[in-house]
Amino acid sequence: MHSEDEGGDEAEDEDDGEAEQFPEIDTRSDSEDENENENGSAADAEEDEDVEDDEDDEEEEDESEVDTEDDDLRIYPKPKTVISDITGQPKRVYPEIEADYDSDSSTEDTPNRVGNIPMHWYDDLPHVGYDVNGKKVLRPARGDELDKFLETVEDPSAWTSAFDKNTQRDKPLTEEELDLIRRLQENENPDSAYDPYEPTIEWFTGKGKEEVMPLSGAPEPKRRWVPSKWEKQKIMKIVRAIRQGRIIPNKPKTASTQPQFYNIWNDEPSNVAPPLPAPKPRLPTNAESYNPPEEYLPTEEERKQWEGTDKEDRERDFLPQKYGALRLVPAYDQFIQERFSRQLDLYLAPRVQRVKLQIDPNSLIPKLPSPSSLKPFPVYKSLHVSHDAHRVRALSVSPDGAWAVSGDENGNVGLWEVMVGKEVKRWKFPGKVGAVEWCPRTDVSFFVVAIEEHLHFIVPPNLPTPVLVATQALLAPATLPPAPATPSPVKWVSTAAAASSSDLPILTLSLPSSSGLPKQIVWHRKGDYLSTVSSGEGQGGVWIHQVSRRHSQAPFRKVKGSIQLVLFHPTKPHFFVATQRYVRMYNLAEQKLLKTLTPGIRWISCMDVHPSGDHLIVGGYDRKLCWFDLELSDKPYKILRYHTRALRAVHFHPTYPLFASSSDDGSIQVFHARVYNDLMTNPLIVPLKILRGHTVKEGLGVLQVRWCPRQPWLVSAGADGEVAVWCS
Amino acid sequence: MASTSGETSHPVVFTTQTAYPLPSQKFMIPTSWRRYQLSQLVNKALSLPKPIPFDFLVRGEILRGTLAEWCAEKSIGEEETLEIEYFESVMPPQKMSSLPHEDWVSSVSCQLSGRFFLTACYDGNVRAFDYSQKLLHSASVHAAPLTSVCVVPSSSPSSELLIASASHDLTARLTTLTLPANSSEPASSKTVASLHLHTAPLASVAANGTGTHLLTASWDGLIGVWDTSISEEDEAPAEEPTERKKRRRVEEDASRPKRKAPLAVLKSHTARVSKAVFDTNGEQAYSCGFDSTVRVWDVENGVCTNTVAASSKPFLDLALTPSGTSALACSTDRTVSQYDFRAAATHLAAPTASLAHPATPACVAVSPAAGEHQLVTGAYDGAVRLWDLRSTKGAVTSFRAWEATLKKGGKVLSVDWARGVVGVGGEGGVEIWRVGESEQAVHH
Repeated sequence: MHSEDEGGDEAEDEDDGEAEQFPEIDTRSDSEDENENENGSAADAEEDEDVEDDEDDEEEEDESEVDTEDDDLRIYPKPKTVISDITGQPKRVYPEIEADYDSDSSTEDTPNRVGNIPMHWYDDLPHVGYDVNGKKVLRPARGDELDKFLETVEDPSAWTSAFDKNTQRDKPLTEEELDLIRRLQENENPDSAYDPYEPTIEWFTGKGKEEVMPLSGAPEPKRRWVPSKWEKQKIMKIVRAIRQGRIIPNKPKTASTQPQFYNIWNDEPSNVAPPLPAPKPRLPTNAESYNPPEEYLPTEEERKQWEGTDKEDRERDFLPQKYGALRLVPAYDQFIQERFSRQLDLYLAPRVQRVKLQIDPNSLIPKLPSPSSLKPFPVYKSLHVSHDAHRVRALSVSPDGAWAVSGDENGNVGLWEVMVGKEVKRWKFPGKVGAVEWCPRTDVSFFVVAIEEHLHFIVPPNLPTPVLVATQALLAPATLPPAPATPSPVKWVSTAAAASSSDLPILTLSLPSSSGLPKQIVWHRKGDYLSTVSSGEGQGGVWIHQVSRRHSQAPFRKVKGSIQLVLFHPTKPHFFVATQRYVRMYNLAEQKLLKTLTPGIRWISCMDVHPSGDHLIVGGYDRKLCWFDLELSDKPYKILRYHTRALRAVHFHPTYPLFASSSDDGSIQVFHARVYNDLMTNPLIVPLKILRGHTVKEGLGVLQVRWCPRQPWLVSAGADGEVAVWCS
Repeated sequence: MASTSGETSHPVVFTTQTAYPLPSQKFMIPTSWRRYQLSQLVNKALSLPKPIPFDFLVRGEILRGTLAEWCAEKSIGEEETLEIEYFESVMPPQKMSSLPHEDWVSSVSCQLSGRFFLTACYDGNVRAFDYSQKLLHSASVHAAPLTSVCVVPSSSPSSELLIASASHDLTARLTTLTLPANSSEPASSKTVASLHLHTAPLASVAANGTGTHLLTASWDGLIGVWDTSISEEDEAPAEEPTERKKRRRVEEDASRPKRKAPLAVLKSHTARVSKAVFDTNGEQAYSCGFDSTVRVWDVENGVCTNTVAASSKPFLDLALTPSGTSALACSTDRTVSQYDFRAAATHLAAPTASLAHPATPACVAVSPAAGEHQLVTGAYDGAVRLWDLRSTKGAVTSFRAWEATLKKGGKVLSVDWARGVVGVGGEGGVEIWRVGESEQAVHH
């Protein structure tokens, strides 16, 4: 670079060459003068640095050279600092500008005077403009590309020349211009006169420049020389803390100054769920556009409906609106409200990780043994006995399980073999048959039929002689037992044993008139007492008859509610009485109320006690079946609701762990019910089978179910006049 | 010999237990063949003078469709050799006659040497019919419903028959029935003895092959063994309350049936005994009951020698196969089970074959003439089914009794099968059907 500069200089300024003192630095006439002036005014009170600068210039080559060059390469004339004669202060004196030959651009020979116009206007013309005299300045001849190339090779100043459009020729750049370009290239200040390293001027410091007078006349404050009490307090506080050991100064370094490392994977992973990310807002749909398609715009009705509904009930919280341009869309008027409710949401309903229960729904179903492992139980209808489409409400199976007796509402009572279904005898009574029941004794054999206000005791045919004799002796004794002290309104009328046959009742009980149809007969397990419940009013309709003493008594003088059912406890002298909503348990020996069971049924329809005597099932017209553990609670142990219509009958099997319930929906459901002697084990109730086969007639389905003793067979009587036997 | 071109054929080996064996060689049978073609093949191969229809058992199943259909159903490859057993096919049952009764018929017997039928009715009468549906005699033996009737075979041929009947009135009775050879003379009957043991209605009565002994089964769980000789004196005392009056009458009335006492009482059943029968030589008795057991008795000593204890199968009826080695018992769980007494005692509880019915099978009968494998059962749905024990999946054939008279199908309470004739007794009376053997067998 430097050498190039030299080369350029050589070619250019020949006239300045002789005046130069420093061959490396090209100087112009101005700087020449300056140097001369400087040198000339060496006598002036110049500072040492300046002199040194010059000396530096001479000695050093690179950096200070540049500086001096900067000084030298000024476009403007450099001022001269002289001591003013008047003030005695240094002053700058600029040299006078001589209008010499190349000091003014106007003296330059600029032949083309077209001014600053686009030169391509002259592209098609032979001249490039006009000179000061109005003569055409002809386009200088330009060589072809080869000439250009040769020119660049031959002419050393070709690379520092630029094409001048005005004259349409290459013009070599001046020294200043090249310097300017160089400065710009090197990111320097383009002004070569600028000195970034100007010597500082000491205005206030230094000898003889000290400030003698203070700036303020205020007296010295006390705090400048009195020790601070506040600081003392603070320090004493720290001192006390150090003494008490709360602050340990120079805390000893614990183990070592070595950096402590720990395994970041050492700890168990945290169980705490990571903070939940906020739920993502729903993506906007077309309806939320500022310019939705027409089909999203609400009709007038929809708009009215939207405005009519409450804010909470609206399906969406805005109405689509159409704007021609986005700039026409107004500010969102719900913005504040929405932000506020969002804040409410955030702090009133904080996000929590909802622990989703991963439970297999099948595991919630109690583990029950499979029905096939609980065989035998009835599964199919083996045979049926027809009652000519009269409703069969009364049904009973003999204690040996061989015979069944059924009574319909037409007054027919049929005796038939359970396994064949052949009716061997039929009795016709006036009025409806309310109930039939076999005597549970095995040494005698008879059954009781309840007709309007009468109880008929009937001996079945074909009895072995000892049984027949015992039965006749029981029901029609030769010598009547002594009459009870208090006469009873119930009349006991027997036919003589000799004249009796199975065609006619051997004994008839006449209940007091207007007591209504007895709808239930229950026997005590020993077969001496039987109890009847009549539908009529008065005295609760409950009678307890004792066969051996031929005596009847009403156990209740006054009963709350109308009595629906009664039941003898199989082992204890207890007596269950069911009213519409409650089951009361009385001790007949002590004549007191033991407990009241509340099944929660609106109207009790049927009831049976387990052969062990510890469990009671109660069915209701409101489709519920309640299982009571009598030793457990007055509340049901289990409430089963599986029938679609009212329950009509329930019955426990005397020996097998089975019970059955029948309903007005025409179905019979068979359950496995195993009870344990262990008080800790709950009864196991397993639904086994739904037996369908009875038709529902006039809203009534299966009216009575009874088990066959000794066999897992079920006998059911329906409103359709069919009595069916279900076998395993 | 059965080679046809273009059709797929299947290798088959024929076996049989009939008197018409084929040579034991492999046949290539076209798979499109049905029973008819196979039967023709056997007939032609043996060049039988009179064509005999055969039925074919493929792996214990009677072939109903084509062989190809059977193979496709069972997914049997074409290469596999099939063993096909054939037997003389059963002709479709034909109704011969109908004997209407006013009450239900609890028992029917066809054992009377091809001439008569005996029926026991719930009205207490034993009736005898001949083959032309003519009522020969009606004897009012019991006042109570009858449950069972049987003919006591006699060694000496005579016109007098001894008939045993069991009833709900706790007795069985022996009745002599005189049926004259020509039908112009009236038949007569006389009750000669009443058997007093049971305290519950009787379920069945059966005689042994020589007619010397009787078995009665009752609801009280007892089985009585009786001889059939009629003594002059009452063996059993009359019941207490009517003693005096009757004794006076006895002396006057010599024709009063004699009261007989049992030779032995077989006690082991814990519930109702529904049937007790002798085996063919009369030494052993078989009984079944509601306590789900089938028991084998040594009659001589009166002890139970073998017991099949099934689980929850109250048995309703029992029949012995002609060879006497196994028993067929109907139970209320809608199966008829075969128990083979030759098996070890430990395996006795499991039946060797089990025939599933859609309704309660109430009665079962076998015929000595029909072979070892066939039986008929009557069920409460009114259907009488013919089974082959080699094909237990379904009945060979079935027919419905009283289809015309009873709409819903009455219960069949009794079937008896002898010499190609099945007597069906039940709710609708009695019907006689020709089942099984050819017409020759009926006539001779």
